[in-house]
Amino acid sequence: MNLAGVLYLGRRYLGRNRVKTALLVAAFTLVWLLPAGIALVVGKVEQQLRARALETPLLLGQAGSPLELVFNGLYFTKPAIATLPFGETEVVGADGLATVIPVYARYAAANHRIVGTTLDYFDYRGLPIREGRGLIDLGECVVGSEVAEKNGIAPGDSVISTPETLFDLAGVYPLKMRVVGVLAANGTPDDAAIFVDLKTAWIIEGLGHGHLDAEKLGEEAKLVGSSGNAEGAVRLNASVVQYNEVTEENVDDFHFHGEIADYPVTAAIVIPADAKAQALLKGRYGKAGGLQLISPEAEMDELFATVFSVQDLVLRLLGVIGFATLAIGALVFLLSNRLRRGEFRHLLHLGADPGTLRALIAFEAAFVIVASCLLAAAGLAILQAIAPVLVRQLLG
Amino acid sequence: MIRCEHLRYAYPGDAFELVIDDFSVTKGGSVALVGPSGCGKSTFMNLISGLLVPQAGSILVDDVEVSRLALAERQRFRLTRIGLVPQNFELLDYLTVRENILLPFRIGAGLDREAAARCEELADRSGIAGHLGKYPDQLSQGERQRAALCRGLVTAAPLILADEPTGNLDPENQDRIVSLLLDEARRIGATVLMITHDPVLLPRFDRVVDVLALRKGGAA
Repeated sequence: MNLAGVLYLGRRYLGRNRVKTALLVAAFTLVWLLPAGIALVVGKVEQQLRARALETPLLLGQAGSPLELVFNGLYFTKPAIATLPFGETEVVGADGLATVIPVYARYAAANHRIVGTTLDYFDYRGLPIREGRGLIDLGECVVGSEVAEKNGIAPGDSVISTPETLFDLAGVYPLKMRVVGVLAANGTPDDAAIFVDLKTAWIIEGLGHGHLDAEKLGEEAKLVGSSGNAEGAVRLNASVVQYNEVTEENVDDFHFHGEIADYPVTAAIVIPADAKAQALLKGRYGKAGGLQLISPEAEMDELFATVFSVQDLVLRLLGVIGFATLAIGALVFLLSNRLRRGEFRHLLHLGADPGTLRALIAFEAAFVIVASCLLAAAGLAILQAIAPVLVRQLLG
Repeated sequence: MIRCEHLRYAYPGDAFELVIDDFSVTKGGSVALVGPSGCGKSTFMNLISGLLVPQAGSILVDDVEVSRLALAERQRFRLTRIGLVPQNFELLDYLTVRENILLPFRIGAGLDREAAARCEELADRSGIAGHLGKYPDQLSQGERQRAALCRGLVTAAPLILADEPTGNLDPENQDRIVSLLLDEARRIGATVLMITHDPVLLPRFDRVVDVLALRKGGAA
């Protein structure tokens, strides 16, 4: 039989038995794709998490899960972690041992985390503005490239923070923020974040607010018979509308109550002046009961030691399942060839030589293997392409 | 056309032994091989086609000593010089009727326009032209046997070996198949050797040879 004949008969057989062929190809594809895909995704997750962790020497937070602190301070997930007072971040940097960048990543807008921070954050992460300008005034925000692309946002547009609890009238009210800039993409969680000044984040929290000057309001807006107020203070009733947007006209009416030092932040990036300062700070906060100062890199090492041991176990299991699948595939193939014994005998009777009959069988087996390898390679390429989004979803 | 002398064949580990001293068929002749089941009709036919190699004796087909050919040469010889019509159709279920008929070309030198035209012509003459695009499981028994017959005839081989091609058919289809076989063989000048159990068909052949009698020393 000539090669063209082998290919023709092989192709016709596979085409006529396409369900069986498709099932075999699908099973073999999974055998190749699953372990490789898991390794690829885990590798990407590790790459992204480690890169960020390596760039951040120390992280200060309230005592609790160090991993949750890392995820909040570096990747802006885990918004519900315990907060620390802003004043503590100032204490760390007060004696010149370190530069401290506070992060308040608790609220969200359009499914993107709102990150309250200082301008130092942009310098430290090396985040250039692609469009527009940086933060200057209260109520402004700068969005990551992904936020801009996904929501079609550009400087001049607005985003509104998502209320935490819709029916909680005393809770967090939405704040409309002006978009003044879009960051250049850098393939990190910054791409998916909305950055605001810390004070803007505290306004969302309800710690600061804006309304008409109480002195200019009529008597109908004031509560009579106040109790517990400081002497001379005026209590206003619910008829006084609070501003839900900071504008040039009302910015002066915004004010904060209480001590700024007591205001919350979820984490603070600590950049020690030198190795000695780092050692001193670690020693200092290692003993402090209420706070923790951790090394994100060390936390990632610990995390990935666990992840890799689990991955190793999963890959071993997949190896066993893969072997079983290949064995079943081979059995299907052998049984199928046994059923076709009459067909092969007849081809021999007609004059096909045994060598080319073997080539026919080999072609069919090779087709399944090659097709499954190609599909697995395509699957891996797709995984590779969507890995950044996938990783972000996994971390979110 | 066919000449067998002092032929001896025994299956390994089997008491059966086929011994034929002298058998010949002239070119263009048609011979019906008869005899009880197990008498060696199919074995004899397989020896002539080169599927089996005798332990002794010689088989000449068109002056080629088939028994002396190497395996690859025998395969090629069978592909080009012999048209086989099996009893159970042996159509490949994943090929259409057209593809089945043209199978000898697919496994041989390759398909050409002449072969395709001959396929259409044979299908037309055998009444299955309308079924060429169908698969074997969409055909009746008689239609499948006609397709198998077309495949045996499509190469216009000088020798046609038919192993009970009418065994599974009703009388009407039996007659149709034999008529097609003999008419086409006559048209191309091919020699026909056909195994049959049906006495009704025997008068259609030039000669009838009882293989059992042949084994007992008779010459044919």
